[in-house]
Amino acid sequence: MNHLIWKLHRSQAYFAMGALAAFIVILLVTGVVMADDYHRFLATCALTQSCSAGQGQLYSGDGAIFDIVNLTIVVPLLFGLFWGAPLIAKELEDGTHDLAWTQGVTRRRWLTSNVLWCLTAAVVWGAVISVLVMWWRGPENALGSPFDAFDQQGIAPIAYAVFAVALGIAVGSFFKRVLPAIATTLGVFVAIRAAVGVYLRPHYVAPLVKTASLSGPGSNPPAGSWLISQGLVGPHGQFLGGGLVLNDLPAACRSVPGVDKGSLIPCLTSHGFSNALTFQPANRFWEFQGLESGLFLVLAAGLIVLSYRRVLGRDA
Amino acid sequence: MNVDLGASAIRTQGLGKRFGSNWALEDCTIDVPRGRVTALVGPNGAGKTTLLRLLVGLAAPSAGDAWVLGRPPVQTEDYLDSIGYLAQDVPLYRRLTADDHLRLGAHLNRNWDDTGARDRLKRLGIPMDRAVAKLSGGQRAQVGLGLALAKQPQILMLDEPVAALDPLARREFLASLTEAVAGGDLSVVLSSHLLHDLERVCDHVILLASARTQLCEEIDDVLASHRMLVGPKRPLTGLESSITVIKSTSTSNQLRLVVRVDGPVLDPSWEISELGLEDIILAYMGQDDLQSSGLHMVEEVAS
Repeated sequence: MNHLIWKLHRSQAYFAMGALAAFIVILLVTGVVMADDYHRFLATCALTQSCSAGQGQLYSGDGAIFDIVNLTIVVPLLFGLFWGAPLIAKELEDGTHDLAWTQGVTRRRWLTSNVLWCLTAAVVWGAVISVLVMWWRGPENALGSPFDAFDQQGIAPIAYAVFAVALGIAVGSFFKRVLPAIATTLGVFVAIRAAVGVYLRPHYVAPLVKTASLSGPGSNPPAGSWLISQGLVGPHGQFLGGGLVLNDLPAACRSVPGVDKGSLIPCLTSHGFSNALTFQPANRFWEFQGLESGLFLVLAAGLIVLSYRRVLGRDA
Repeated sequence: MNVDLGASAIRTQGLGKRFGSNWALEDCTIDVPRGRVTALVGPNGAGKTTLLRLLVGLAAPSAGDAWVLGRPPVQTEDYLDSIGYLAQDVPLYRRLTADDHLRLGAHLNRNWDDTGARDRLKRLGIPMDRAVAKLSGGQRAQVGLGLALAKQPQILMLDEPVAALDPLARREFLASLTEAVAGGDLSVVLSSHLLHDLERVCDHVILLASARTQLCEEIDDVLASHRMLVGPKRPLTGLESSITVIKSTSTSNQLRLVVRVDGPVLDPSWEISELGLEDIILAYMGQDDLQSSGLHMVEEVAS
């Protein structure tokens, strides 16, 4: 079986190895420079107590590489589209399943070998990229928040990769053609990832709330945390939400022209208004990574079971 | 079941396959002894492919039972080892070479005859190191046959292997098949709608029409039991009891019948002639047309 799988997928494997090698080289080179910059910056900012202001200024000019690193968010999806979805759909499209499934290996063994190789490749590639990104973002994580690149580092990208491949395989077992399988995998993956990221992730653990002044030191969320929302709190402690409603404001401040924050904020502050920050603290990063990974691995397991039922029960 | 299933290469009992509400194969009961080369014939859509897929275990029956070499066709290594299958349109991995395919086969099968397969393809002049997508249809069919034979199966099932080939490639393919079968006790089932080719290669025939079995017999027996009768026009209801009309055509004063006879034809007014397999098969298919158009099989067709 392994021989067959290698023969059929070696060009994909070579391409993926090449892309990964290029990515490793770029990140190693730029990462070493960044780490160097970072340590020099720390040495000087400690003297002026301006370390928290360093984020975003430190690596200006490296925008393209930042973009590449942020774009690794799509890597798991690519595994799903180009490894997972064609795995079964391509055989069905070309009719070669008739050949494969009448050789001396059972269909179950054929599927198991294929699925295992595909998942293993996803785990290895996903892990290498994720570890590399996490190392590369080390300075950025320290100055900003690891939550800023929650989807690209830690263990979650590995779980996404496993999920994407499992999704591709499952979808591919329902279609007899590669292209619809790829399109469906794309749609479903993006929808589920977005839904989880937007609606579930902020609530894995109840977020903390901190009431802070509207401006000045202390108005920011704690260092490294993930700010989920913020809203105005009135002088009697009533939460007014994120948007400013004119009627909620003290009469004296309403006359302040339009969006001129410069004068509105001091006015509100003087009338006892403050800011409520809802956030997840930095030390929950790994807990969240674990919960999200678990969720996607469970989904992946379900999809693999579905694929088995489809393929083994299939009238080819 | 007190029948010795093992004596048959293929035995089915009321075998049927339904897709949605449509029966692709219905109530198929056949018994093919071992060591025969069987032609599986019938018009398009008669269920030939469906029957073969049920027999190799790629599809599960909706009704009835099947035994191949005495075993139900299911996906176990043991069963898979005993069959060779060449699906319609000869599916191969387009970007792999014939050599790649042979290596795959060697890895995936236990009784692989690598030397035999390579010798056969070499003698046919098949380029071993060219992607199969770049081979001719005839060469691809030979590679497909080579793969199926290299498994050293006890039964070989081929689905329309020559349908897409030109006459020369078709002849070469059938010659390869005949050579492979010669002397061995390999059972072969070969589906085709090209009757002419099959008559030379096969010694047994299964005729499927309108998703049902019409015939499953030795070809010699089929030839011996079918006759063409030509005579003056008369009502079909008065025929001798030993005659079953398969197809009738009439002109203004003459009647031509394709019949199955179970004894001598006594009526001297008939001019009796023998029929080729092709004519007999076509007569059955014509009968099928009559049935599907709602006519009874003994009604006349004006020609």
